[in-house]
Formats: sequence, C-alpha cells, structure tokens
Amino acid sequence: MSAMDVPAEGGRSVSRAPAVQQAVAAPRMTWLTLALMTTSSVASLRAAPTMAVYGLACVFLYLVPAIVFLLPTALVSAELASGWTGGVYNWVAQGLSKPLGFLAVWCQFAMTIFYYPSLLAYVASTIAYVIDPALANSGLYTAVVITVLYWTGVWVSARGTGAVAGLASWGLVIGTLVPGTLLVVLGLVFLGQGNPSAAPMNASHFFPAWTGLASLVLIVNNFLSYSGMEMNAVHVSSLNDPPREFPKSMFLAMGLVLLIFILPALAISWVVPADQLSLTAGVMQAFDAFFQYFDIGWLTPVIAVGLVAASLGGMLTWLAGPSKGLLLISRQEGYLPPFLQKLNAHGVQQNILVTQGVVTTGIALMYAFIPSVSSAYWIFSVITTQVYLIMYLLMFLAAIRLRRNQPEHPRGYHAPALVTLCVTGFLASAAAMVIGFVPSSQFSGGSVWSYVLIVGGGLLLLGLIIPFTFLKTRKPSWRQPDAGAAAPEGRAA
Amino acid sequence: MSPTRMASEHRWIYIGAIVLLVAMLVVGLLTYTQQHATNESYRKAQQLSDELVAAGYRAVPDQDQIAKTLGTGGGAVCENPAGALQNALWKVNLANGAAGPGQRPVVADARTVEAEAIVLNVYCPDKLEDFRHKLDDLDTAKTVNT
Repeated sequence: MSAMDVPAEGGRSVSRAPAVQQAVAAPRMTWLTLALMTTSSVASLRAAPTMAVYGLACVFLYLVPAIVFLLPTALVSAELASGWTGGVYNWVAQGLSKPLGFLAVWCQFAMTIFYYPSLLAYVASTIAYVIDPALANSGLYTAVVITVLYWTGVWVSARGTGAVAGLASWGLVIGTLVPGTLLVVLGLVFLGQGNPSAAPMNASHFFPAWTGLASLVLIVNNFLSYSGMEMNAVHVSSLNDPPREFPKSMFLAMGLVLLIFILPALAISWVVPADQLSLTAGVMQAFDAFFQYFDIGWLTPVIAVGLVAASLGGMLTWLAGPSKGLLLISRQEGYLPPFLQKLNAHGVQQNILVTQGVVTTGIALMYAFIPSVSSAYWIFSVITTQVYLIMYLLMFLAAIRLRRNQPEHPRGYHAPALVTLCVTGFLASAAAMVIGFVPSSQFSGGSVWSYVLIVGGGLLLLGLIIPFTFLKTRKPSWRQPDAGAAAPEGRAA
Repeated sequence: MSPTRMASEHRWIYIGAIVLLVAMLVVGLLTYTQQHATNESYRKAQQLSDELVAAGYRAVPDQDQIAKTLGTGGGAVCENPAGALQNALWKVNLANGAAGPGQRPVVADARTVEAEAIVLNVYCPDKLEDFRHKLDDLDTAKTVNT
C-alpha cells in the first residue's frame, strides 16, 4: 500500500507509507516483544492456586471463555490492528464515531486507576510473606510499597515504550514462564513417580459443580480472564511490518496465555489437594505447600520475587498502553485540556501519567489506612470490569462496521468469519456485564437492588458521566494541529 | 533525546531492576523462615487431618506437607486473618481466574473458605472468632466438583 491509501482524519493505515517523524526517535519493537508484552498484560501465575481448587474443571473454566471471548478478542483486534494504527480509540472512531472512540479508550484507561492499588497491595503482601508476614497488615508498609512501586513505574513509563517493553518481557520470562515451566515439570515428576493426582482427573470432573446461578457467575466471570489482549495494539506502529507482524504476535500471545493459565493450575492441583489449597493464606502459602512436597521450600521466596517481577512488568504495560491511546485521540480531537496532552522529551504522555498517579496515590492511601475502604475495595473490581466491558462492546460493533463500510481498506490479516466472531464476542461481553450485577460472595446481607444500584451507579459515573463531561467541555483550541499525523514514539504510518 | 542517550538510560533502568530483584531475592532467602517439621508440628498436622475428615473433607492433605507448610503456629494463615488489609486481599482473591484487571469477585465455594476456619481452630483458636464473623458475612455456594 502506498501513501495514497492513507485515509484522512486519523484513519491511518498501518502500511509502510512515508512516515511523518516526530522529533523523538521511534523505538522499534519486534513482534516477539509485543507478544510478550501482551501476555504480560493478561496472564501470570497469580491465579494458578485459586483455579487449582477446581481441579480438572479449571481446564473447562479457561477453555470455554477462550472460545467465546479470547478468540474473538484476539482475532478481531489482530485484523483491526493490521489495518489501522492507534489501537482501540482509532478502531472505534473509524467504525462508529470519534466521541465513541474516546469513550472506548477512556473505559480502557479509567478502569486501570482502581486496578493498580489492588495489584500493588498483592505485591506488598507477596513481599511480606517472605520477609515478615506481619507486615501485610501494616497500613504504613502497604502504603509505602504501593506508592514507591507505582511512582517508579510511572517514571519508567515516562522514559518511553522501549524500557517498558524490555522490562515487561523479562518480567514475564523470569516471573511467569520460568516458574510456570518449573511447576509443570515438578507436577509431571510427581505423576511420573506413580503418585495419584490429588484432584480427580476423570471425565466426570471436567465440569465444575452446577448449582445454578453461582456456577453461571463463575463461568461467565471467567470470560474476563482474557481481558487486555487488545490493549497493546496501541504500539502497533512500533513494529517493522505491522500488517504481518501484529497478527503473529497476537497468535503467540494467545497460545502463551492459555498455557500459562491452564498448565500451572493443573500441576498444582495434581500435587496439593484442594482442601489444602483452600486452607492456605493466599497465593504464596499454596506455592509453599507445593514446594514442600518436593522438599524445596527454599524456592518459595524465589517464586515470590518472580511473581513480583511479573506483576510489575504487567503494571508497566498497563501504564504505557491506555494512556497513550487516550493521548492520541485527545490530541487529534481536543478531548482533553492542553495540560494533559503535553509530551516529555521521550514523546510520552507524562502529564496524563502524573495526573493518573495523583488520583491512584490518593486511592491507594485510602486503601491502606481506612479499613472501610480496603474492606469494600473488591466492589471497585466489579465496577471497573463493567466499565471495561463497554470498550469490548464498542470494539466488536466497530469491527463489523469497518468490515462493511471499508471493505477495501488494506488489512494485513482478515479474521475468518469476522461477523460471527464479533457477535460471539459481543454476546459474551454483554453476558459478563449482566452477570456483573449478580451479587458476589462478599456482598452478603445487602439487598440485590442496593448492589445493582452501587454497581450501576459506579458504571454510570466512571463509564459515562465523566467521559461525556470531557466531551462536553472540550474546546476547539485544544486540538493539536499536527496530531493527526504524528504518533508519539511510534512511526506514524 | 538521542537514541544513544535513550539506550544508555534504558540500560541503567535494566541494571536498576536487576539489582532490585536480586536484592529482594537475597533478602527473601535470608529472612524467609520455613516451617520446621517437629514432633509438635506432626501432632498438629494429625489433629488437622482428623478435623478435616470429621468435617467431611475427603482428600486430606499429606501429613508431611501440612507439617512443613503450617508448622506449629499456622504460619501466615494465623497472621491476623481478620485484619483489615488481610481481609481486603482475601475478599479480592475470592475471584475468577483472571490475573490482570479482569479480576472480579465470584460466588465462592463454601467448603473452600470453611476449611480455613478448621485450620485456625487447630493452629490459632484465639483468632477463630473474628474469622468466623468474616465467614458469616459471606454468601457461598458449592462450585467445586469434589
């Protein structure tokens, strides 16, 4: 495709058209690095002990969502990223409308604000497990760890995507791939020694227990295990040959995510009975029980460091991705005030990161020091995942529209049966959103309607009112004249 | 910023990350206290097994594994299980299989959470009452196929 094929008004394709370079040198990224970043954003060993409790049924609990959610998300975003730069904002802007493009990337961005404190609180408790478990109950310790790690992450992200890509990839390798392989090998050794699997591995245990709504909540909520697969598409213009390389990177990430989720959970369920997993104080004691069987308990702190590295690597990808998408559309359309559109010397959206950091720090401090906030924090994960699902609904709709309205637009990859994939993904996302209104275990005693009101109110505020306030208050002067052509850090295509 | 300067800065970021992780590893290996399998820990492990069987749990864990994981004092499981921050993490972890921002609460399996109360009863009975309050605030169901 030549430069002549480049659509106007932000509809930039990902061909090798003459690039409009920014002052900043464009960092290159291999498709392998992007695959590792994507995997790092979505998968880690953190969930392995939780899912090992379900034994063989954990395969079902990961495979069904993989068919109805992972496959549509990965294939659809592979097609979209092989045709358009900029990630979800541009796909939705091109397929539906620019305000909806802003809404999509806002939803992707806003939900991370509440994610970081809980992720870093988990990191703090993992560190505490090996140093002194009593620290996990210290508000001061938790606040210091969250704040220091978060702002270090912001600082690293502000140095450019190159640093984020390297650290996230290595975090995945040393914190997930190596320990995950170790878990699986040890599990196979356990079985090879003639030991029976602790969890029954027969056909009748392939399905989770069916108890109506509770089982449905478990299965449907597991769709969200794969959320984030599309997020790193915002870096697509950093690839040498995006139309060919992005789909390759997405397929590799899809395979890795499945392996990381399923195999280590199975391995743990072979060695540690569910009753022992259930009695463990969190993820680390489950790993401890696993290693104790092989008399290698000293590996517990090693895996703790690995989990910390993987979590921080994943956090970096989330810091760098959605905020970049938000910046791109805001510069083109003037959706955010100029202060938030400013770039640093590395071409990074520093002021968005810092503003987000101030809000996140405030939330984290409340989490650490106010028991009523920490106790109710789980509700934010319900609200934010609901907000995130808005983005998926918009993405699947946009993909159908783009295939119909721009069939001739060059794409490096055509997803097979795209409409079926989009309808499946849309219905899965809608089902997950509906299930999000069913009270979980933590909401005991309250009325269903108050739960619906809290979740619905949060969804309305974070997912609709705030982004529409930005849209309403925007000024024409906030547009950056050169923003349509220049893509920070990446080569504009 | 020139590519050379950027590469140099990135190199220092990588070196800093490696130093930090190695330091954490060394501190972790030096400070991590493994539970020791003593006569007392085996006695407690046996008591726990008996109580799990009495409560109807079929797959009772290996004695050796329990003794080395929980020792005599229960390890981390007895570390203020009803504390605000522990409680918060515990609630967040009663979730689906997501490891990223897709993590979301589910309806937890009843026996999964009740087993912890049996452990507390054996290893730190003084912490049981507060934990029981926590369990009472939880709606559960049977979702694990045993």
